[in-house]
Amino acid sequence: MNMEPIIQIKNVSKEFKVLNRREGLMGSIKDLFSRNYKIINAISNITMDIMPGEIVGYLGPNGAGKSTTIKMMTGVLKPTSGEILVNGRVPYENRTKNAQNIGVVFGQRTQLWWALPVIESFKILKEIYRIDDKVYNDNLELYNNLVGVKELYSKPVRQMSLGQRTLCDILAAFLHNPSVVFLDEPTIGLDVTMKSKIRELITELNRVKNTTVILTTHDMGDVDALCKRIIIIDKGTRIYDNSIENLKDYFGAYRTLKLMFSKNPEDNTEENLNKIAAEIQTSLHKEFPSAENIAVCSNEEWIDIFINEDEIKMMEIMNFIQNTRNIVDVKITEISTESVIKKIYEGGVK
Amino acid sequence: MKIKKKTNTLRYYAHIYRMILAQDLKSKMNYRADFIISNVGIIATNVSGFIAFWIMFQNFPSILNWTYYEMMFLYGFSLIALTPVQLFFDNNWNLRFQVYSGDFIRYCFRPINLFFYYISEVFDIKGIGQFAFGAGTLIYAWKNLGLSVTPLIILKLIIALFSASLFMIAIMNIAAATCFWITNSGIVMVFMFNFKDYARYPITIFNSIFRFIFTFIIPIAFIAYYPSLIFLRPDNVPLLTYLSPFIGIIFFYISYKVWITGAMQYSGTGS
Ligand SMILES: Nc1ncnc2c1ncn2[C@@H]1O[C@H](COP(=O)(O)OP(=O)(O)OP(=O)(O)O)[C@@H](O)[C@H]1O
Ligand SMILES: [Mg+2]
Repeated sequence: MNMEPIIQIKNVSKEFKVLNRREGLMGSIKDLFSRNYKIINAISNITMDIMPGEIVGYLGPNGAGKSTTIKMMTGVLKPTSGEILVNGRVPYENRTKNAQNIGVVFGQRTQLWWALPVIESFKILKEIYRIDDKVYNDNLELYNNLVGVKELYSKPVRQMSLGQRTLCDILAAFLHNPSVVFLDEPTIGLDVTMKSKIRELITELNRVKNTTVILTTHDMGDVDALCKRIIIIDKGTRIYDNSIENLKDYFGAYRTLKLMFSKNPEDNTEENLNKIAAEIQTSLHKEFPSAENIAVCSNEEWIDIFINEDEIKMMEIMNFIQNTRNIVDVKITEISTESVIKKIYEGGVK
Repeated sequence: MKIKKKTNTLRYYAHIYRMILAQDLKSKMNYRADFIISNVGIIATNVSGFIAFWIMFQNFPSILNWTYYEMMFLYGFSLIALTPVQLFFDNNWNLRFQVYSGDFIRYCFRPINLFFYYISEVFDIKGIGQFAFGAGTLIYAWKNLGLSVTPLIILKLIIALFSASLFMIAIMNIAAATCFWITNSGIVMVFMFNFKDYARYPITIFNSIFRFIFTFIIPIAFIAYYPSLIFLRPDNVPLLTYLSPFIGIIFFYISYKVWITGAMQYSGTGS
């Protein structure tokens, strides 16, 4: 297949000029004329192409520049340099036209009318986006099949829980069949049930409508459930852009060895386990100095030992520990997305 | 072709405004107490203003050739002219909080004029009480002044009220928009808003500096004084009175441009 990317970002940078504000009314008046700025480089030279129908996880630690990138793609912010095309248009120059073809959810900032029942918000959106009766009714029916929210519709947004509101915000973002939907931390602050409901909803909407979805999140559960491709940025620069599988392959040799030394809760106090973990870490480093990546930590009643099998075989470590301690239970796990991403944030991948 | 497109756009916006308004009123009707209390509040404010006015005229039967009923006329006229800003543009008062907290970004993702979308969100029912009070005062003054009632004069009155209302709207648009550039814009808004109280006096009672300011800088003299001259001093109407609808429209347009310029360069907050 030879498709055009739906979003093209080329060498984009964004800097914020922050005024060093002065106090009081006179200060504000002076600020109007002064040029006392500090420059913050929020995004530096980012390039990426997004294909139609993809769900892309856009990840990075706090302050990495994720929301800033999304604001540029929606046309709210103008890049300091570089080019952005969304649906073939420059978002900043065609803000209202661009808005017709995108949907946006900023977690915790609802775009629905606060005092109105959701269904009334939907009706107003129908007029604003000039949505066909047929499209509108089909979507409502689809929504009802997917999440069955009819009873929510008559509730004013103001009276909704955060989760219900986020759900409705996501539905609203898809209502006009946009080609791209931006979700900035849609699962923030939600309980596990609501999270999985929202993940299913997004998966289904993407499948049924082939909508491109750009998702930022700090919850790796979202990533596992939704994204094939992830893009990671840190301090405004891109540090990873590939499939999540590829990332795990990179860490393919990594395993977590979980050991339990006692089933007695009294032995397994946090303090005690931390002490054991520290002791094991020291002795392993002494015994196997070439295995630099070994990391030991306590995890509930388990001691987790993070091992790169290219450096050292797991059995060697088990044997070594067995000589000094009595192991009552053992588990071996593949590395999780969570720890991969953590490793990358901490600078584990160059 | 172009005109057709324009009228279609106008119809689109009118339709959306009506929808939002209807929904908003419906939801407010659920809070009847709120409706009643806020209107009683604004009427009480106006009654106390009215009483102060009335007491003043018990001592001075006229001020610089302005009789009691003429002053009442100005008073009622200004209250009506100040109704639209209260009814339809009240969301300007929330602007600085939304801009400061970053919530303003919620309005930036719609395929529709940002100013319209933002302003349409709030309809302040208090304005209805103010309108009723102003209309009562104006009719009372009108009768006692023995002014005639002809279709032409009603038309003139409507045009005069409409253009007068644009001035306060424009002043408040600009005052609110200052929050896109400065953090203390609340002071600016309150400062500007309080000037409206001077709108009910003939500007001839002020000294020449204030007359200049109220005509050309903060043009509150256009809210009641200049338009009222058509009815109260028909033989001696100044040019500014005839020009006021045009000045009003231009001034409103400028205020809109200032507002939208600020909104378009809004860069949000860090979170
Ligand atoms: N309007 C603004 N003015 C000044 N600085 C800003 C503004 N918006 C963002 N920044 C700065 O730009 C950087 C990137 O911010 P951004 O909100 O994009 O991060 P993020 O990746 O979304 O973080 P988080 O995960 O915490 O939401 C931060 O250093 C932030 O302080
Ligand atoms: Mg963010």
